[in-house]
Amino acid sequence: MAAGSRAPGPRFALPVLGLLLVGFAAPLLAVIGYSFMPERTFGLWQEPTLDNYASVFSGTSYISFLWSLALASATVTVLALVCYPIAYGLARVFGRWSPLITLLFTIPLFVSENVRLYGWVLFFIKGGVLLGTLKSVFGIEIESWLFTRGIILLGMVYVYLPFMLFPMTLGVAMVPHETSEAAADLGASRWQVFREVELPLSMPGIVIGFLLTFVLAVGAIVEAKVLGGQQIIPITHDIEIAFTYAQNWPLGAALAVLLMVVVGVLVIGVLRRFDLDAVLGRR
Amino acid sequence: MSKLYSSRRGFMAQSAVWAAAFAGVGASGIRSARADRSGELNILCWEGYNSAQVLDPFRSSTGATVKAESLTNDPTMINRLRAGEINVWDLINVNNPWARRVMWPEGLIRAIDRATFEPYFNSMLPAFKPPYKWAMDDAGEVMLGMCQRFGPYSFVVNTDKVSREAAEDQGWNLWNDPANEGKYGVLESDDWNVFNICCIAGFDPFKVHSDDEVAAFGETAKHVFKGAKVVGDIATMNQALVSGEIDFHMTGGTYSASPARADGATNIRGVTPKSGPMEGGKGGISWIEVTSVVNNPDVSPRAEEFLKYVQDAEVAHTVAFAEGTFNPVAQMGNPACFGLFTAEELDAIQWDSLEEEMARSVEYDIVPDYDKLLDLMTAAKREA
Repeated sequence: MAAGSRAPGPRFALPVLGLLLVGFAAPLLAVIGYSFMPERTFGLWQEPTLDNYASVFSGTSYISFLWSLALASATVTVLALVCYPIAYGLARVFGRWSPLITLLFTIPLFVSENVRLYGWVLFFIKGGVLLGTLKSVFGIEIESWLFTRGIILLGMVYVYLPFMLFPMTLGVAMVPHETSEAAADLGASRWQVFREVELPLSMPGIVIGFLLTFVLAVGAIVEAKVLGGQQIIPITHDIEIAFTYAQNWPLGAALAVLLMVVVGVLVIGVLRRFDLDAVLGRR
Repeated sequence: MSKLYSSRRGFMAQSAVWAAAFAGVGASGIRSARADRSGELNILCWEGYNSAQVLDPFRSSTGATVKAESLTNDPTMINRLRAGEINVWDLINVNNPWARRVMWPEGLIRAIDRATFEPYFNSMLPAFKPPYKWAMDDAGEVMLGMCQRFGPYSFVVNTDKVSREAAEDQGWNLWNDPANEGKYGVLESDDWNVFNICCIAGFDPFKVHSDDEVAAFGETAKHVFKGAKVVGDIATMNQALVSGEIDFHMTGGTYSASPARADGATNIRGVTPKSGPMEGGKGGISWIEVTSVVNNPDVSPRAEEFLKYVQDAEVAHTVAFAEGTFNPVAQMGNPACFGLFTAEELDAIQWDSLEEEMARSVEYDIVPDYDKLLDLMTAAKREA
C-alpha cells in the first residue's frame, strides 16, 4: 500500500520536473556555458576560456557591482525604517481602515513600473508638478533634482516598498498580543517590549522582506535609467549593454553569473544567520 | 573585426543544436515545419512597421496573420537572427550597412528579385536612383532589400538656447566647450554615440583608428559622459529639451526630434554640422533603412508582397507618420506620395533643410574597430 501510494507521486511530478529543467535549469546552464566561451562569439561549443572573467576582474565592472549592491542595501535600509511603522499600524493600529490602506499600497502594482517612474519624472522635472508649482505659486526657483543619484534611491524605495511592507506586516501580525501584554505586566517598558518581544517575534516577516527587496533591488535597472538619467550604471545595465550593443554574449553571461554568485552568497549568508525554519517555529 | 566575423561565420553551424533547442521551440509555436506560410508573416523591425495603421490594411487585404516586433537598435535584431530566429522571421528592417556588409555575407538574408523591385527606386527621391548602393551587394549585382525611411542624424538643439546657425557652425565642438558641461544630454543609442564621440575627438568614425585616436576616443568619451546632465531615451531627451533641463543632445536628428516638433515644439531641431572630420569634410551622419527578406528556410510568400505593399504612396505616407517617430521616406519622390504630406508634417520632419542636411552627411557605415571603441565608451559611462 505504502509503495503503491508513493509511485504515482514522482510519476505525476515528471511534467513539472521537465518544465523546470527546460524553463529554469536549461537557460541558467546556457548562461553559465556562454560565460566560458571566447569573447564576442555566439556558439556554445567552442573551447572554454576564463577570459571573460579575467576581463571583468581587470576592468571597471566592479564600479557597477558596487553601485548595485550599495543602492540595494540603501533601499533595504530605508525601507526597513519606513515600512516597520506602517506595518505596525496596519497590523495593530489602523483597525478597520487597514484593508483600505493595504489596497492603496497595492494599487500602484497594477500600473507598469516604467509608467510610474515616468510619472515621477513629470513630478520632478524642471517646470513640472513640483518645481513648476513652487515657481508659479510661491515664486521659488530651485534646481531640479531629476537625473541625480539621490533620486534613483527614491525611485527604488518607491518601487520596492510593497515588497518590504507586506511580508513585514505579516511578521508583525504574527506576534501574539498576549506576549506584549505579558511583558508589560511584568514591568517591561514600551521600548523593552518592542526590542525584546515584538521585534524578535516579527523577524520572519522582516527577514523575508529584506531578502525579497534586496534580491529585486540588486537587479534594478529602470530607476537609474529613467530617474537617474544614467548618472550611474548598475550591473544589470552593464549586462544589457553586453548582450545588445556590444554583441558580447560571453561577457554579459560572465557578468550575470558573477551577479548570481554575489547575490547567492549574500542571501545564503543571511539565511544561515537567520534560520527561517527556526524563527518560524518549525523546529 | 575579422576575428569577430570569422567567429560569426562559424556560428550558424555551431549553434544549430541550440537554435533548435531554444528558438526552434518558439518557432514551432508559430508554425509547423514546411507548412503553407501564405497565411502568416513575421517582421522584425524598428518601430513604425509594427503599427496597426501600417499592418491592418495588409492584414485585411491578404487575410494573413502579421506579427511584427519592434526593437530600437540594429545589433540586437541581427543577434536575434544569429541566435536561431532566422527560422522565425520573414522580414528584417535595419539600417543601411547591415544588409550589405553583415547579413548578406553571413547568409542571414536572401536576395530579392531585382527585375521586380528595382523599378520602384525610379520613383523614389533622386538620392535613391538605381542601382542604389545600400540595396545591393558589394558587387552591385544582387538586390538585398528595399528602402523607405531615412534621415540625417547628428544632434538636436533647443533653438531658444542655441541657434541653429551657431550649432551648425560650432558642430561637434559644442561638446568640447567646457562652458557646456551639464547643459546637454546623450541619447541612449550606443552605436551612434561611438560615431559621435569620434567626431567630437576630431576623426572619422568609419575607418580603422590608430592607437593615438583610440586613446583620444577614451578621453573624449570620459569628458562627454562626465559633462552629460542625462543619458536616456528619445522621450527623455525631448522632455528634457522642452522643459529646459538640457539645451542640446547627441545623438539625434529628424528621427528623434520629430515627435516633439509634431507636438508643436518646433524650437526642438535636428542639426547637421556644416563641417566635420569625415570624408569630404562632412560633419553629419545619416541613416537609411533597408528592409530585407530573411533567409528563413520556410519563408512566407507574403514577405515580398509586403515589400511591394509599403511602396504604395498612401502606405508610404502612413509609414512616415506611423506611431513613435516621424521620418522622411524615399517614396516622397513620387508626387502622389509627397502630396499627402501636410505643411505641419513637412515641418515636423524638417523638410525645409532635409536635402542640405543629407548632403552634409556621410551615410552610416560599420566602424571597423567598433568593439574596442564601445568597450572604452561603456567604461567611460561607468566611471563618469
